Amino acid sequence: MADVKIGNLHKSYGTVEVLKDINLQVEDGAFVVLVGPSGCGKSTLLRSIAGLEPITSGAISIGGRNVSDLAPAQREIAMVFQSYALYPHMNVENNMAFGLKFAGVPKAEIADRVNEAARILQLEPLLKRRPRELSGGQRQRVAIGRAIVRHPKVFLFDEPLSNLDAALRINTRVEIARLHKLLKATIVYVTHDQVEAMTLADKIVVMNKGRVEQVGKPLELYYRPANLFVARFIGSPAMNTLAATLDGKGKAAAVAGVSLPLPAAVSGTGEITIGFRPEHCSIGKTGIPARVELVERLGETGYVHARTADGAALLVEVKGDPGLAQGAEVRVAPAAGHLHLFDGEGVRLAGT
Amino acid sequence: MRKPVSAFAVHAVLALYTALALFPIILVIMNSFKAKRAIFNTPLTPPMPWNFDPIGYSKVFGDSAIATYYMNSITVTVGTIFLTLLFGAMAAWALTEYKFRWNTALAIFLSIGIMVPIRLGSVSIIQLVSDLNLINTLTALILVYVAQNLPLAVFILSEFIQQIPRDLREAGRCDGLSEYNIFFYIILPLLRPAMATVAVFTMIPVWNDLWFPLLLAPTGGKQTITLGVQQFLGQYITDWNAVLAALSTAIIPVLVLYVIFSRQLIRGLTSGAVK
Amino acid sequence: METASQGRVQQHGIVGMSPGAYARVLIFFLAPAVLVYTLFSVYPLLDTIISSFYSKQNDGSYVYNGVANFVTLLTDPTWSAPFWNAFINNIKFFLIHMLVQNPIGLLLAALLSLPVLRFRTAYRTLIFMPTMLSVVIIGFTWQLILSPLWGIAKMFLQAFGLGFLFGPWLGEESTALITISLISVWQFVGIPMILIYTALLAIPDELIDAATVDGLNQFQAFFHVKLPLIWPTIGLVSVLTFVNNFNAFDLIYAMKGALAGPNFSADIMGTLFYRVFFGNQLQLGDVSMGATIATMMFLIILCGVMIYLFLIQRRLQRYAF
Ligand SMILES: Nc1ncnc2c1ncn2[C@@H]1O[C@H](COP(=O)(O)OP(=O)(O)OP(=O)(O)O)[C@@H](O)[C@H]1O
Ligand SMILES: [Mg+2]
Repeated sequence: MADVKIGNLHKSYGTVEVLKDINLQVEDGAFVVLVGPSGCGKSTLLRSIAGLEPITSGAISIGGRNVSDLAPAQREIAMVFQSYALYPHMNVENNMAFGLKFAGVPKAEIADRVNEAARILQLEPLLKRRPRELSGGQRQRVAIGRAIVRHPKVFLFDEPLSNLDAALRINTRVEIARLHKLLKATIVYVTHDQVEAMTLADKIVVMNKGRVEQVGKPLELYYRPANLFVARFIGSPAMNTLAATLDGKGKAAAVAGVSLPLPAAVSGTGEITIGFRPEHCSIGKTGIPARVELVERLGETGYVHARTADGAALLVEVKGDPGLAQGAEVRVAPAAGHLHLFDGEGVRLAGT
Repeated sequence: MRKPVSAFAVHAVLALYTALALFPIILVIMNSFKAKRAIFNTPLTPPMPWNFDPIGYSKVFGDSAIATYYMNSITVTVGTIFLTLLFGAMAAWALTEYKFRWNTALAIFLSIGIMVPIRLGSVSIIQLVSDLNLINTLTALILVYVAQNLPLAVFILSEFIQQIPRDLREAGRCDGLSEYNIFFYIILPLLRPAMATVAVFTMIPVWNDLWFPLLLAPTGGKQTITLGVQQFLGQYITDWNAVLAALSTAIIPVLVLYVIFSRQLIRGLTSGAVK
Repeated sequence: METASQGRVQQHGIVGMSPGAYARVLIFFLAPAVLVYTLFSVYPLLDTIISSFYSKQNDGSYVYNGVANFVTLLTDPTWSAPFWNAFINNIKFFLIHMLVQNPIGLLLAALLSLPVLRFRTAYRTLIFMPTMLSVVIIGFTWQLILSPLWGIAKMFLQAFGLGFLFGPWLGEESTALITISLISVWQFVGIPMILIYTALLAIPDELIDAATVDGLNQFQAFFHVKLPLIWPTIGLVSVLTFVNNFNAFDLIYAMKGALAGPNFSADIMGTLFYRVFFGNQLQLGDVSMGATIATMMFLIILCGVMIYLFLIQRRLQRYAF
C-alpha cells in the first residue's frame, strides 16, 4: 500500500478552471472520502489521480513516486466506476482477469487472484455469467473484484453505490468497510451521500467550486466546520444560519432583535453569521423569536419550520410530537456549546 | 365522423400494394420452372408436374461462367464489407475518441461522400485504375466500393461509438490496455450490432451495382453476377426459359438472404434514420 | 511538496503517452480510411472537375481551355440538344418520383403506423422486397411483363375491361420515360416508406391522445399533428430522391441500353454521361466532354443538397420535437 500526495494541482478545460490549487495528503491505508455539491470537481480530481485526465499543473505522487506523467496502468491504482464499466462481452471471470492478461501475469497466478477475489466477494457461483445476467449489487461486486485482483496500491471509487437501491446500498457500504479493514488498502472515495461519508471515512475532504474547503475527521467537520460552506454542507438537515451583530465586548450577539450570550469571549465587533444545527436547539421561553410555518411529524421526531421577523428560516428538531400549530409564536434557543460563529467572509471565528 | 378508419380498408390497401410488389417477382420465379408453351399459354399457373421444365436452368448453369460470376460477386461484397467495417470503425473511433487539430475538418471531409455520389468521378477512376494496373480485377471494384461506402459507415459507427460509455474505455486504460487493444478488444466487439447494420447498407448496393462492374471489370471472367446476368440476358434475349431462369438465379439468393436478415435490416434502417 | 511539472503543455488527452506515440495511434486508425477514400473518391471527383476544363488536341495531349467545354455543352446544338433533353427528362424522372413514389410511401407508412394493425411486419417486409433487388433484374422483369409477346399486362387490363389502353409503352417515345419512371417508383417506394414510418413511430402516443381528446378524428390528427412533425423526414426523403434520381443510370441502361431510345426519349444525365464518355454506335468516347457532363451533374446535385441544407432543413428543424 502507499500514500497519495497531491501538490498545487490545477486542472482546466480550455479556459475553465475546474480544480484550483488542490493540496491533499492521503496517508497509507487511509480511507479518504471526497464530498461536495454536484459539479465541484470530485470526479475530475479522482480521474486526475487515476491518470485518466491530464492535469494542467502541479504534481501527484503515489507511494513517494511522482506519477503525474505516467499512464493509468503504471500508477498501480485501480478504479471502480459509478457505472461499473464491466466489459459487457466478457463473463465475470474474464472481466477480472482481462487486465492481468495484458500485464503479462502468468496464467496460474491470474487464476489464483481471481479465485481469491471471488471468494472475498462471494462471486464464486457467478464466475461464468455475463454482466447483463447479474443484478446491480452483483455487478458492483464484480467491479470491486476487478479492482482487487490488480493488487493496486490505491483504490479509487467514484460514487460506487449511487446506482443501487437504498437497502443494497447499506449492505454494500458495510461490505466496503469490511474490505478496507481486510485489505488494509488506501482508498479515495467520491460520494454524494453524507451517511456514506460519515461512516466510511477516516478523513473527509469537502470540496466546493474546484477548491478544497476543509479536510478533517468526520466528527471534526460536524462539530467544528471551518467555514459556512462546510457548516451548511455537512449534517442533514442542514445547519440554521442567521446574520448577527457582535456587541463589542465579545460577550453576546444581537440576533433578530434579541441578545444571545456567546459561549466564549470573541474579539472584534461587527457583522457575523451564527449557526446552530436543528438537533442542537430547542423551543422554549427564551431565544430567537419566530413564527411557525409548518410542522412535520415523523413519529419519533418532529420538525418545526419557523421564520424570524426579518425572514430567516429556522428548523428545529423536536423529540416526539411538537404540539404546535401553524402561526404559533415561539422562541428558539441554541443549545449551549453548539453555537458556531463565522466572520463576514464565512470563516470560523478564531477561538470558537 | 368520429369512426376510425375501417380496418378492412387499411388491410385492403396494404394487401393490394403488397400483391403489386410481389407479383412480378413471383411471376418470374414461377415461370422459370415451366416449359416454354406453358409460359406463354398459362403464365399465371404455378409450376406443376405436367408443365415443369428446368431447361432454362440447365442453360444458365451450362454457361459455366455463372458460378464464377457468383464467386466474383461474393468476393467483392465480402471484401468490401470487411474493409469498410474495419477501416470505417477505426476512423470512427479515432474521430470520436481523440482530440487533434484537424478532427472536425476531417470529419466533414469524410462526410462529403455521403451526399456526393462517387460515380461522378468515374472518368478519373478508370484512369486511376488502369494506371494502377487494376483493370478487370476484383481489387479495383473492392477499393472503389470501400471508398464509396466509408463515409456512411464512419457516420453510423461514430454515432454508436459515442453511445459506448466513456467509463468502459477508461476501465480499459486502467487495466493497462494500449489504445490499439482498447479498440480491438473492447470497442470492436461492442460494435457488432452497428456493424451488422452497416454491412446490410453496404451489401445491397454493392451486390446490385451495374455501373462499376461495367466500367472496371466488364470482361475476362471478372464480371459480377449482376453484370453477368445482364450480359447473359442480352445474349439470350429471345430464349424465354433461359431469361426467366437467369433472372430467378439472380433473385433467389437475394430473397433468401433478405428473409433471413430482414429483421436486422429494417431495424438498421429504422435506427439509422432516427438520428 | 515540489511542483515538478508546473505549466505543462498538454497536447492531447491521454496521460503518459508521448506526442510521437499519439501521432502513431492517430495515423494507424485514420490512414487506411482517409487514403482509400481520398484516392478513390475525392481525388477522382476533383480530377474529373479539373478535366472538364481541358480539351483534347489532335496530337492527343490535353490543353486547358477554361469553360469552353461548358459553353460547348450548353450552346453548340450537337451537344446542347442532347444535354437539355437529358436534363428535362431527368427533371421529369424526378418529378414523377416526388409526385408518385413519395406520396405512396407516405400513405403506406401512415397505414403501417396505425396503432393496432395485424401483419404489420409482414407487410413492411414484403413491400420493401423489390428495393433489395438489382435494378437490372427489375428492369428485365418489367420488360417481360409489359412485352406484348407475353401479354401479361394486356391480360390484366382486359380483365378490367381496359384492354384498349394497352400499348407498347416502353417502345413509344411518348410513354417510355414515364413507364420507366413508374417502374423505378415501384422498386424504390420502400425507402420513403421506411424512413417516414420510422419518423411516425418516433412521435409519442400522448400527442395523438391529446389530439383525440381535443376532438380530432384520425384523419385530422394525422394531418394536423403527425404530418407537421414529419416534415423534416419528408425533406430528407426529397433530397435523397433528388440525389439518387440525378445519379440514376442502371435502370434505363438495363431496359433501353446506352441509347436510351426510342430516339433518346428516355435519356437522362447518367445515360448521357455514359454514352459521351464511352462512346457508342453513333460517336466516339470523349473524356473531356464526359468529365464536363459529370461536373454538371455534380453541380446540379450540389445545388439540390445546398437548397435542402440551407433553405429547407433550417426552416423545418424549428418545428421538430
Ligand atoms: N470534458 C470536460 N470538458 C469541460 N468541462 C468539463 C469536462 N468534464 C467535466 N467538466 C466540468 O468540470 C466540472 C467538474 O466536473 P466533475 O465531473 O468533476 O464534477 P463532480 O464533482 O464529479 O460532479 P458530480 O457530483 O455531479 O459527479 C463541472 O463543472 C463540469 O462541467
Ligand atoms: Mg462525478
